[in-house]
Amino acid sequence: MIKVEGLVKHYVKIKAIDGISFEIKQGEIFGLLGPNGAGKTTTVKILTTLTKPDAGKCFINGFDVIKEPYEIRKFIGVVPQENNLDRDLTVYENLFIYGKLHKVKDLKVKIRNLLEMMGLWERKDTLVSKLSGGMQRRLLLARALLSDPKVLFLDEPSIGLDPQIRRHLWEIIKKAKAEGKTIFLTTHYIEEAEALCDRVGILSKGKLIALGAPSELKKSVGNFTVEYYMDKEGSIKLWMFKTKEEAYEFAKKNDLPLIIRETNLEDVFIKLTGERIE
Amino acid sequence: MDWYPVLLRELIIFKRRLLKFGYLLSAMMLPIIYFVVFGLGLGRMVQIGGKSYLSFLIPGLVAMTSMTNSYTWIANSINLNRLYFKTFQVLYLAPISYSAIIIGEVLAGMIKGLFAASLIIAVGFLTCPNFGLTLPFIAALFLSCFLFASLGFVVGMLSKGHEETATYSNFFILPMGFFCGTFFPIERIPYFLKPIVYLFPLTYINILIRKEAFDDSALISFLVLIFYSCALFGIGFGALKKYSE
Repeated sequence: MIKVEGLVKHYVKIKAIDGISFEIKQGEIFGLLGPNGAGKTTTVKILTTLTKPDAGKCFINGFDVIKEPYEIRKFIGVVPQENNLDRDLTVYENLFIYGKLHKVKDLKVKIRNLLEMMGLWERKDTLVSKLSGGMQRRLLLARALLSDPKVLFLDEPSIGLDPQIRRHLWEIIKKAKAEGKTIFLTTHYIEEAEALCDRVGILSKGKLIALGAPSELKKSVGNFTVEYYMDKEGSIKLWMFKTKEEAYEFAKKNDLPLIIRETNLEDVFIKLTGERIE
Repeated sequence: MDWYPVLLRELIIFKRRLLKFGYLLSAMMLPIIYFVVFGLGLGRMVQIGGKSYLSFLIPGLVAMTSMTNSYTWIANSINLNRLYFKTFQVLYLAPISYSAIIIGEVLAGMIKGLFAASLIIAVGFLTCPNFGLTLPFIAALFLSCFLFASLGFVVGMLSKGHEETATYSNFFILPMGFFCGTFFPIERIPYFLKPIVYLFPLTYINILIRKEAFDDSALISFLVLIFYSCALFGIGFGALKKYSE
C-alpha cells in the first residue's frame, strides 16, 4: 500500500530525513517510533503531499506521491501533530467544510455518526477555540475519518491526552484497522506503539535504524532486560538477555539493586542508539 | 464548484467577525477619516474640473477602500493560516485543484472589498448630488477587488511572517492610496514620480472609476488592469503549485 525508497529531506543545513526506505502492507498499523526531531513529522508531511522531498520515491496505492498528489489526496486522512482545526468555526462547521472539500456523500449523517462516536455531538455548535485539548484531538480524528480514507496518517495522535481518552482513541484506531484501513502512526509513546502497531520502524536522527514487528525487535536485542538505576550519576544502565534464566544468573552475580523485566521498544531504541526516546 | 467550500469557510468567518462590535468600525475608520478631513473639511475650498471636490474624492475612496479590504483580509488570512494556525493545510490537502483554492479565496476577498466599497458608495449617494454609477465605475470596482485580492493571495503565500505582510502593505498599499489619484488628479503628481505612479495598478483603477464611458484611456486602463489581474492570479497559482512546508 505504501512504498518509500531512499527518502531524503533537508531543512537548511539539517538533514531531517536521511535516505529511509520501508513498505507498509494494506490493512496494517505501522508505527514510526522515535524521539522529537527524529524526522517522524517530516516523513508524514512528505507522504501526505504537504512537503516535497529532496530525493527518493514514495508511492501510495500505486500513485506517485510527488507526481500525483491530487490522486493521493482522494484517499488519505490526516491527523497532524499541530492542531489545524479552524478555531473561528464551530465543531460542526469544521466537519461540514472538510466534508464539502472532500465531496463526502450523506455528509450530515456521517458528521452526526462521527461526532456521536467521539462524544462531541452535544458540542457541535461550540466554537473550536472553546473546546478542551482532548476534545480538539478527538475532533481532528473525526475529521480525518469523515472522508472514509483508505490510508490514515496519525502524527502523534494522543499527544497531551489523559490515559482514559488515549485508550478511547486506541479503540477507534483499532476499529479503523478492522474496517480494512491502512494506518501510519507516529508516536514517541512506547506503550502506544506496542498496543497498536503490527510493525514499527525506529527512527533516529533521520535514519531508520530498525524495522519489524515489536516482538521481533525485542527478540533481536533480548526479551529480558536487567535494569540498574545509578543513583549518583542519575542514569540507568541496561543489559538484555534472551531468557529470564540468563537475566537471573546475571543479577545473582552482581550484588546491586537490579530490576528484571520484559524488554520494551524503548530498550530496543536505547540498545541501538545509546539514547532514550523521551 | 470545487471553490465553493473555500469561499463558504471565509464567508462564515466574515459573518462572525461582522457581528463583533468594532470590526466594521475599524475596517471603515480610515475612509471615514479621509472623507471627513479631505472631503468635508479641506475639500469645501477646492474644485476639480469644475466639479466639487467631493464628487472627485468619493470614487477615489471607493477604489482605495476596495483595494485595502480585498487585499488585507486575504493577505493576512492566507499568511496566518499558513504559518500560525496551519488551517491552510486543510485546503491544500483537499482533493481540489489549485485554481479552486485561489478562486475561493479571491472571491472571498472580492466580497469583503465590495461590501466595504458599497458603504462608501452609499455615503456618496447621500452626500454628493451628482454621484452616480457608470459602467467603467462598476468594471473598475470589480477589477480592483479581483486584482487586490489576488495580490493579497500572492503576498500571503510568499511572505515568511506576519511582519513581512505588514511591510508589503507599507511599501505598496499605503503609497498607492496617497499617490495614485485617490485624493488629487495624477496629472498634478511631480514629473519625476509619474513613471512610478504609472506602475501601480491603483492609478488605472482611479482613471477607470471616474470615466463616464469607455473612451480610449478607459480602455487602456481596463486592459492594463486585466493584465495585472491575470499576472497576479498566475503568480498565485505558481506559488501554490510550488508550495512545500
